[in-house]
This record gives sequence, C-alpha cells and structure tokens, in this order.
Amino acid sequence: MDLSEQQTMAPSYAADMDDESGYMGPSARCVLFTLEDEVYGIHVKKIREVLRVGTIRHVAGTPSNVMGVINVRGVIVTVLDTRLMYDMPAKEITDYSRIIIVELDEEQTVGLMVDFVMEVKDIPENKFEALSTTKEDASRYIQGIAHFQDNVIILIDVDNMFSAFSLA
Amino acid sequence: MDDDILQDFLVEATELVDQLNEQLADLQQSPEDPDLLNAVFRGFHTIKGGAGFLSITALIQVCHRAENVFDKIRNGDVAYDAVAADVILRAFDVISDIIDAMNGGATAEELPENDPGLLNELDGLTAGNKPVSSPQPVANSVASKTQLTLDEDVDPDGDMTDDEFEALLNQRDMASGGDEEKAESVKTGLSLEADVDPDGDMTDDEFEALLNQRDLMSADGELEDEVAAISPPLSASNPVPKPQPAPKSAPKPSVVTTPPAAKAAPKNIAESSVRVDTKRLDEIMNLVGELVLVRNRMLTLRTAQGESEDLSNAVANLDHVTTDLQNSVMKTRMQPVKKVFGRFPRVVRDLARKLGKEIDLELQGEETDLDKNLVEALADPLVHLVRNSVDHGIEMPEDRLAAGKSSNGTVILAAEQEGDHILLSITDDGKGMDPDLLRRKAVEKGMMDELTANQLDDKAAFQLIMGAGFSMAAEVSDISGRGVGMDVVKSMITKLNGSIDIESVLGEGTRMSIRVPLTLAILPTLMVSFAEDNYAIPLTSIQEIFDYDSDKTNKIDGQMMVRLRDKSVPLYFLSDWLAPGHVNENDKVIIVSIGNQRAGLVVEQVNGQEEVVIKPLGVMLKKVSGYAGATITGNGSIALILDLPGVLSRFQH
Repeated sequence: MDLSEQQTMAPSYAADMDDESGYMGPSARCVLFTLEDEVYGIHVKKIREVLRVGTIRHVAGTPSNVMGVINVRGVIVTVLDTRLMYDMPAKEITDYSRIIIVELDEEQTVGLMVDFVMEVKDIPENKFEALSTTKEDASRYIQGIAHFQDNVIILIDVDNMFSAFSLA
Repeated sequence: MDDDILQDFLVEATELVDQLNEQLADLQQSPEDPDLLNAVFRGFHTIKGGAGFLSITALIQVCHRAENVFDKIRNGDVAYDAVAADVILRAFDVISDIIDAMNGGATAEELPENDPGLLNELDGLTAGNKPVSSPQPVANSVASKTQLTLDEDVDPDGDMTDDEFEALLNQRDMASGGDEEKAESVKTGLSLEADVDPDGDMTDDEFEALLNQRDLMSADGELEDEVAAISPPLSASNPVPKPQPAPKSAPKPSVVTTPPAAKAAPKNIAESSVRVDTKRLDEIMNLVGELVLVRNRMLTLRTAQGESEDLSNAVANLDHVTTDLQNSVMKTRMQPVKKVFGRFPRVVRDLARKLGKEIDLELQGEETDLDKNLVEALADPLVHLVRNSVDHGIEMPEDRLAAGKSSNGTVILAAEQEGDHILLSITDDGKGMDPDLLRRKAVEKGMMDELTANQLDDKAAFQLIMGAGFSMAAEVSDISGRGVGMDVVKSMITKLNGSIDIESVLGEGTRMSIRVPLTLAILPTLMVSFAEDNYAIPLTSIQEIFDYDSDKTNKIDGQMMVRLRDKSVPLYFLSDWLAPGHVNENDKVIIVSIGNQRAGLVVEQVNGQEEVVIKPLGVMLKKVSGYAGATITGNGSIALILDLPGVLSRFQH
C-alpha cells in the first residue's frame, strides 16, 4: 500500500503521539480530511493512496455525484464527489483538494474527492462513540464519532457507504 | 463437503468431459484404436475416482458402468458398434449433465436419480451385448450406493460386498495404470477377490477414501511405487491404516502438470506443458496491454520530439519487442478450434438420425488457434448454425435423389486464419435459399414494403433471415424454426466484434461465414473527439466516413436523416448526449452498421485509428448504457469506448 504520501502530509504525527502517551490501549489509525469545515476519518486499511487532483474525465449520462473517471496507473477509477453524497453544496476544486482512493474489495477501488487531507492519526478506541440519534439514512455512512484533541471526528463506514453501489 | 476439493474436482471433471467428448467423436472413426480406447477408459475412471471421493453417487453409477464397458471393449470382448456407441453416448450425456449441474451449484444430494433403463443397458453391454431386458445377476436398485455388475461367471453370492469389489477394481486399475500392458480382464481381477477376507477391520468408506486418495496422488505420477507397496497387504486382507484426510494431498489444479488423461496421449509433448490459471493469463495480458499503451505513448512522443536518432531507434526497438511480446502472450491464450468442433460430429449424428437424413460432416482446419474466450463464446452460435444447416439446409434423402444429388448430404465446418481474423464457415450442399421467397416473406411480415424489398440485392435478402422473428420453416420443430435464433446468433457474433455473411445458391447449398478477430483483448477502434474529450468507436462496425453536409440531410418525422447513395440513413448527433451545449464545427458523419440497421453518427473530429486495450469502467459506471469500457490513449488521457448498440438505443428511446 502506498501510504508514503499520507505520512509526509502528517508532520505533526509524532507530536500527537506524545500528547496521548498516557494511553496504551488499542487505537485505530485513520486518515483525517475535511469537508465543509467538519473533520472526517477513514481507517487507513481501507485506503490505498491519496492523489492530487489531475485530469478527471467526465462521463456523460452518469449520476450527479459521479465526477468522472481518472487513470490510476492504467486502472480506470471512478471519482465521487463526497460533498454531494453528504448533501453539501458542490465546491470548486482547489489546490488543497485531494482524491482519496478507497479499496472496496480486492479488485475494486473508488476515488473520493475531499476538500483537504489533514493527516494520519492514531485515535484511541476509547474515544469512539456510536452515533446516538440522527436521521436513519444519513447515519448509515457514519460509523461513529470521536472527540479527540478538541476535534469532533466523524468516522466514515466505507463498507456501508458502498455496499449499495458496488453492486451497480 | 470441502468446497475447495469439489471445485478442484469440477475443474478437472469438466476438462475430462471435454476430452471424452472429443475422444468419443474420434472413436466413431476408429473404433478399434487401442490408445483411444484406453484414453476413454481412463477418462471415465478418473471422473469416477473423484466422484467416489466426494460421494456423488449418481456420477459413480454411470462412470463405473461406462468404464466397465470400455474395459471390455479394449480387451476385445465387446465391439464398439452402433448400439454400444448409442448407449455410451447417452451415458456420456448423463455425466456431462451432472457435471454441468454441479458447476451450476447443485449439490450431490440435489442431483436427479439415474434412469435405471440406461444403467441396465450399460450393464447389458458388459454382459456381452445381451438384450437389455435380460435380468442381471445383480438387480439394480438405483437408490442404493454404488453397485457393480458382476460378470456372469462370478458367483453373486460371494462374500464380498459390492463396495469392496469396486475398491478392488480401482486398486487393480491403479496398479496397472499408466502401464502399457492393459489391465487384466475383469475375470483376472476377480480372482483377487477370492483372497480377500471381507472381515477386514476397515470400513468400506475408509477403504474407498484411501484408494481414491491414492488415485489422486498417483495422478501426479509420484506414487506408483507406493501403490505397489500397498497392494500386497490389501490382497492379504490385513487391516490398512486409516487414511489421512485426503484433502491436503489433493493436487491443486492451477499449477499441476497435465492430468493423467492427457498423459495417456501417444506423444511425449504433453509432458512439457504446464497448467496455468486463466486468471493469471489475464493478468499477464493486462500487463502487456499496459506495455502497449506505454509504447503508444513513446511513439507519440517520438513523433512530437522528432529529431534524436538514438531515441527514435530505441523506440522502434521497443515497438518491435512489444508487438512480439503481445503476440506470444496472445498465443498462450490460444486454443485449437477443435475444442468447439469436437462436439459437432455428435450433434450432427444425433440430429440426422432424428430427422431421418443422411449427413456426412467434414471438419477442416481443426488445428486453427483462437483466443480461449472466443472458443467458448463461439460454441453456441456455431451449434445453432450447424443445426440450421442440418435441419433446413440438407434435404431428405429421397428429395436429394430426385434432385439428382447423392442421398448423403455434406456439411463442411471449416476454420482458417485470415490475417488477424478467424474465418469460420458452415457449408452445406442442401437446397439453398431463394432470395425472392425471402423478399416476399419480409413484406408479408411487415418488415418492409414491397419496393424496398425488391431493391435488396441477393446478399442483403439473405441477411433478412437474421432479423428478429423471421423464420423460414413452414412448421416449427423442436430443432429450429421459431424465428429466434439467427438474430441471437447475429448479436452474439456482433458482440465478439465479428461479422456474419451468407451466400446461397438455390438448389446447390448455403455457406455461412463468420469472421471474428483473433482476440477479444485488443480492439481496433476509430478515435473521435468533441473538443478535448476522446471517444473510441469499434472499427468493425464502421462502414464509411464522410463530411457532414447540411444540404444532404432531411428531417423526417422529427428524425434527422442523411442521404447516402439514394438511401436515407438516420443521423444521430453524438454531441447531444456527450457534449450538450457544445457548438459543432467540422462535423463528420460516421456510418456504422449494427445488426441489420445502419446509422450515421455525427462527430466533431476524427483522429484516426488506434488499437486499444479495453478496460472496465470503474464502480457505479458499469451499468451506464452506451459505453463498452474505457482505455488510455497514446497521450495518457482516458478515452471512453462507445458501445454502439447501447448508443443507438439511447437515441432511439
């Protein structure tokens, strides 16, 4: 797995470990990114790589949340506008935008367009809590939230998010 | 039941069934060829071995009897005559059906019980061609476990159970397996039986399992010695140690050397072959595809950069090597077309019998190689065409004689390579087709008006039979004539980027030719574009390209049409769908033909031909109609490959 890119993007990683040195229990390593000022996390084992936004080839006749396809070393990968999937307004692609390539299974991957990739962090599992009350439909994509270092991190359940689509 | 073992068994059994199919067909020609008889015998035996291990009772019953019959035949006790062939072929069908059903996910318990009549007939053959009805010493209760027909001179009251006997037979066959000397006749085998003490400590199932396990292992040729070592204690009826669970020792088919049936082939060539999982071949194929793309990029760069001679040479070198590599990899996926042709002697024979016709089938160019996927994809259309030839093409013997032909009809199935295409043809010397009748029929069915019909040349008239719902048979038979079929054949061939052509002379015969590309992995396309976006259109469907000229178009009933040599062809503006709002300039019209229809696609720019590797579109896009996939072009950008039937239906609905 090509995680080198994320590593370099997380210079504060070591410092964070110091903050949490008191905690020795199990933790989940997540890639943190932002969408519309909220912090989201996806477990690293689900992520193949993070790419800068290159040319996205639009495909006519696709659902609106499909931005198009990109060429990842010879493999054609669908890119989804994550903002639209969470009912947020669309936003221009900026220099900070990144495409997170998520593994659905052995063979299939999908790209998620996000506003900004922050860092890779170990989040102690005792910080997680299940999402209590929300609209049923929206929470399907969300595994839980973690209050961690003044941030509320929304953890995305990638498997659930795509179980509906990967059939298509 | 361990799923892996079952899968391994099914892979092997499916191959064996294919081989048996070919061998049985060959046997029609040379019914006394000892190598062939041995090969068939081993084929049945090996399937039975695996089936026994997995307790697929229905399969064991049939294989076992078929094996017995061939044991007799190869020893010269019974002749492989028409009667025997009939029964054996029916037995083979049963086996083939069972394997198919299991490949489709049926478990051993779900399989239907065997027809006791067939089992009796098989037993009848072993008993020396006696009439089927004669009662056998051992009655067949189908539901019971594997049974064995005892020879007449065997005392059915012997102490041994059937299973033990069965096991002994297995053991004997294995001990002599691979040996050039034929296994001793059943009688000799039976003398062994007398020595066996049925009170041995081992249960039948254990015994059976042990033997089968050994059978599997000896398939690798490693355990011949051990077989010999184990034999004496068996006959001395000492308790045999409980076998280890066999699964681990069962060979994985993806990497093992050729199976025993192949080993039985007379030549030594088989020894140098390796079985490779097709998935791995696909991977290599993909990587080569990548390399082709890189090469294409280099070629583009070279033309762009121009000058450096060294670079130019290096790229030219790369070009050559890549092309060679691509060809050799392609060859590894090639299979002789014999794989498909092998089933036809059978198909024709059965059909001719049923219809009371006399038909000789001639196979030509069986050794022609083509892509494995194609071999599989062509099987169904070919079967359909051959059935058509036999059913509609060839006349009844008396009609043939009346027409001054010999009473035997001939169907020739031929394959040959023609550049990067394969040409398959089915030729019959039957009654041919009458183009005028076809024209009339088309008018009757309301497919076109009389004027249009009369304008069709003969070739176009023959193409009519490939329209949906068009049947020439006056009556519908269970063989053909429902008017579904030819259109299905046509669409299957189109899907393979192939074309189908019909020539016919009334009273003299019909020839159907199918042209398909050698491989499915690489597709010759025409690159077109709208502004920056590239699209690839499969070249096989393209008939011609000309400049768009608004003077030559008409709007008829809301549909734009273009006049082309006194015919109007519907015109679809691809930009309406692919680049809405885009202002077109320098339009070109590409005339494509899909099935029976022609259409003009208006595109902005034509960029020339390119061979592309088809890649699947990503998740969520596979069901979007109009695309066959995507590819990466010489300059590294993505081009979408259009699926023309999908594109047309997009415009038509």
